[in-house]
Amino acid sequence: MNRKKTALSVAAGGTAIGVVGLILIATPAGADETPPALPAISAEALVQSVLTTDVPALSGAVELRNNIGLPIPGLPQSSPGEAIAHVYADGSGRGRLAVQERGGEHTVVRDGQTTWLWSSADRTVVKYTGSVDHADKADAADKMADPATAARDLVGLMQRDSTISVDGTAKVADRPVYQLVLTPKPTERTLLREIRVSVDSETRLPLRLDVMANGQADPALRVGFTEFSTGPQNPSLFSFTPPAGAKITEFGDQDKPTEAQRNQFIDGLDAKVVGEGWDTVLTGKIPADLVKNSGTPQREGKAGKADVNPLGMLKQLGKEVSGPFGTGYVISTKVGTALVTTDGRVAIGAVPQQVLVDALGQK
Amino acid sequence: MTAIAVHPQDAPVRRAPLPRLLRAELRMILRRPRTLIGLTLLALVPIVAGIGITIATSNGDTSNGTEGLAAMVAGNGLVLPIFALAVGMTMLLPLTSAMLAADALAGETAHGTLRGLLIAPVSRGRLLAVKAFGVATVILLAVTLMAVTGTIAGVVLLGGDGMLTTSGSTLPFVDGLGRVLLAVLYSAAQMWALAAVALAVSAFTEHPLIVVVVTTGIVIVSGVLGAIPTLDAIHPVLITTSWDAVGDVISDPLTGDTMGQGLLRAACYLVIGYSIAYARMLTRDG
Repeated sequence: MNRKKTALSVAAGGTAIGVVGLILIATPAGADETPPALPAISAEALVQSVLTTDVPALSGAVELRNNIGLPIPGLPQSSPGEAIAHVYADGSGRGRLAVQERGGEHTVVRDGQTTWLWSSADRTVVKYTGSVDHADKADAADKMADPATAARDLVGLMQRDSTISVDGTAKVADRPVYQLVLTPKPTERTLLREIRVSVDSETRLPLRLDVMANGQADPALRVGFTEFSTGPQNPSLFSFTPPAGAKITEFGDQDKPTEAQRNQFIDGLDAKVVGEGWDTVLTGKIPADLVKNSGTPQREGKAGKADVNPLGMLKQLGKEVSGPFGTGYVISTKVGTALVTTDGRVAIGAVPQQVLVDALGQK
Repeated sequence: MTAIAVHPQDAPVRRAPLPRLLRAELRMILRRPRTLIGLTLLALVPIVAGIGITIATSNGDTSNGTEGLAAMVAGNGLVLPIFALAVGMTMLLPLTSAMLAADALAGETAHGTLRGLLIAPVSRGRLLAVKAFGVATVILLAVTLMAVTGTIAGVVLLGGDGMLTTSGSTLPFVDGLGRVLLAVLYSAAQMWALAAVALAVSAFTEHPLIVVVVTTGIVIVSGVLGAIPTLDAIHPVLITTSWDAVGDVISDPLTGDTMGQGLLRAACYLVIGYSIAYARMLTRDG
């Protein structure tokens, strides 16, 4: 009898230890922790500190949770607690981003002058020796000259359509954070419930972004660090030598599209912004040559994978609707809706379908 | 009588020395024809894969539609053993582990030889430990064998200078071998966890086939559940979840977080499997 008792307790004890261990692995760290105590801070001061902070030397693992109801093309989906990318920065403008896939990796290395893009699946390297857009940078720098004003302007701008507040503290990647919450005003016709930015209390870097949709308890979209630490990094992380046998494509400043080309492309899109705040809708036209492709399905297959029939894909993903705008297809996700009409007009926004239809009506 | 007087400690303790038991167990497993055939087939896997990849990439085109780890193998011989292990872990290695665990207890019961062992002067715990050791050692042997033939086949057939990592850097040959060793240890640990579960099943039945069927069933069902995105809440508890993380060993710098989690999961399954197996061994009639 004694032996049976021992056996039972061994079985129960061992199984319990194992199951508890498995559950611990499954629960994301810091889920039920009490929020850390941090000095109170106003939303404006928090935004200002985020705007003025410099990226220190850091390394971190990034997760992406997508719960919007559609996969995001080109991005792997991570399961709970699993990182899809690793980020490294040396604090003086050099950095590395490595996006992991099953048995492969996309790596971006910026070693000061040159940016390298490496893709392990086809062993290609893109070498980009251009400068970052100076015009934009100078403009931004002008505004940043007075961060207090910039922060006040930004907060003021956001307060027109939303309520902005610091909603307590939490822990992200085991670091205490402030939670900056943007909630749309009740008059806004949007699918979103709130946007939550977790700001590191020490470095003032945003560590996580959560997008909450209506009628969903879990975030529809979450991008954030699962591990984050500051400190000097191994300098070899910020250099890249193309391996033997890799295909290298070089890009420089001269390969950038000129102003005229860019304008022509944008004109071709006929982009227009309808509405403001949370129910902003972007309308436009699909470039004519894309529509033409879709009209000739016989070209499919011959050109291979690159030539997907866009209209065919729309039919699969979307729901056919008709209204004052003609007929079209609606693709809806938890965070946004897109409407593509059969004559090539597009409306997209973080709004319900009806708002898109209204926006298309406003010629 | 004088002998007993010289070694008085031998008389009361009539226990067989552990190393001898372990050696006998290993010798018995390795003498089974099915073990030898299984090990040989596993050792052939990387060679066949290496020949296939060599033929497929012989026209100098490295991007022939292969995806994931397979794309890294062309002209990069040191990745072949890791690729072979990743392929083996989808079915062949789990099957081998299940077979070994099935023979260890259920097979012995079927032959009626376990009864003899249970009444032998060996405690139940020691008996299970010996059986578990035999299974684990042969699994490690199988994985190592795959890595060795894989490394040789890779260097001979595919060549390559050092090891090209998925991050685009090239590791020296010795570092590359280190990564292969890491892959061996990781795969072996995952298979040990599966074998522990199989051993628990093995302790309950006298039909070795049931053990193999249940274990393969666990692997297949876990794989199917793991492929359904909406069930991602239960993915962390599935035994197969981090098995394909063995490919992470060829990233630079080494990103071990998924593998670390995989090892923790394996440890949990080891504890569950062995404790249930031990409890069953205790309650078994002699």
